[in-house]
Amino acid sequence: MAADRNSELDYARPIRRILIGGLVFVLLAVFVLWRVDSPRVERFRAALVDAVVPSFDWALVPVTRTARLIEGFQSYARLAEQNQELRRELRQMMAWKEAALQLEQENAKLLDLNKVRLDPRLTHVTGVVLADSGSPFRQSVLLNVGARDGIVDGWATTDGLGLVGRIAGVGKTTSRVILLTDSNSRIPVTIQPSGQRAVLAGDNSVAPLLDFIEDPAQVRPGDRVVSSGDGGMFPAGLLVGHVALGRDQRLRARLAAEYDRLEFLRVLRSHAGEVIRDAGGLVVPAPIGPAPAPIPAAAQEAGDG
Amino acid sequence: MVDPLTLDRWLHRLIFGAVAGVVVFVQILPLETRAEILPGPEWMLCLTFAWLQRRPDYLPPWLIACVFLMLDLLLMRPPGLFTALALMGAEFLRARQQVSVETPFGPEWMLTGGTIGGVFLVYGMVLALFGVPEMQFGLLAVQAVLTVLAYPLVALATRYLFMVRRVTPGDLDPRGLRR
Repeated sequence: MAADRNSELDYARPIRRILIGGLVFVLLAVFVLWRVDSPRVERFRAALVDAVVPSFDWALVPVTRTARLIEGFQSYARLAEQNQELRRELRQMMAWKEAALQLEQENAKLLDLNKVRLDPRLTHVTGVVLADSGSPFRQSVLLNVGARDGIVDGWATTDGLGLVGRIAGVGKTTSRVILLTDSNSRIPVTIQPSGQRAVLAGDNSVAPLLDFIEDPAQVRPGDRVVSSGDGGMFPAGLLVGHVALGRDQRLRARLAAEYDRLEFLRVLRSHAGEVIRDAGGLVVPAPIGPAPAPIPAAAQEAGDG
Repeated sequence: MVDPLTLDRWLHRLIFGAVAGVVVFVQILPLETRAEILPGPEWMLCLTFAWLQRRPDYLPPWLIACVFLMLDLLLMRPPGLFTALALMGAEFLRARQQVSVETPFGPEWMLTGGTIGGVFLVYGMVLALFGVPEMQFGLLAVQAVLTVLAYPLVALATRYLFMVRRVTPGDLDPRGLRR
């Protein structure tokens, strides 16, 4: 081996260098392609994750449950204290429950009087959280429902308490939920009660930023943040969280969903899926004032004639 | 009959792939889905560098590229960039490692730490240059430091758990020949 190493060197080294240089070039080209044409690479990534992660499925869920169980055991130390606290809360809740029951009855009666029908499209599919992004720089989770279950890109996801994120990347049996805290997440929201519109922009911190508020003076910490339904992205009125003043004196949203315990998520069948047909269409602001009512074709013809 | 040295190499390549699988598995466990958690060290980078400086023949460039590209795709990183940098770092170390000289751990750690720092620095700079939104220099710096600190642990595991050790001049390969 020592003898033929020298003779090997002359040819092997340059060829090896060229091959490695080529490999590095190809890898960098993949990165540039991802940056330039992200959806195509992300679709490939979704397909790959869809092929690989469900094979871990049998282990992922039990291991997660076990780890949570151990976490739960650790909190047994505080059990007595917790018990007291819960009792106190329960007493308060009883009063609230009574109020809620009365309101519910009243609401049902009023809805009946008005012959209101709830939107039948707002049904949901529930999925189990299989995995998270695995990177501290991306905030997303993988659900075990996918195209097979009719999941469409862009649907809203909640955990029952509040909005969690939106579907971005659907495989056959899995789909990825970009959480509101991810730095790529932008959601149009309304701040109640002032009715201010804003954009909830994730920045990889616990509390996403409230950006582009029309009049920040009208927004107070503690106000409710709900999804606004602007742009047809999400159904309007889903609870997102509450306004809080961040340490950097910027308005942020404290999220209502329990982000430390995402186990089952509901995917709302909110819309048929926004399809972008033309490349680079111009985003024009809507005309000021109430939108003109659509005139039926027959009426228009009658008016013309 | 398979050549024992080849068998040994392929066995270790399989082990390398399996460790990568375990690392992905543990990282994507949805135990902590909140933001703002400190990033852990980049274990696979440590493991690659540790193995490479002991037995470079176990880790050919194509294996490193394949494993890291898989990691990039599964761990939601920008695909390709970290792979390319890890490969360049690995080749840098491969060129600098002295076969058949028993190097003490201190200088090895320094050299590897420098390489890891370089990889993370260039990674952060390229991400910033391309305007990738999930870039955060602070977190990357923390991750780089933790990776450098984790290196001795991984080197220990490499030596005693995976039984990957340097070839010394007196060693014979399994065929009984001088390497």
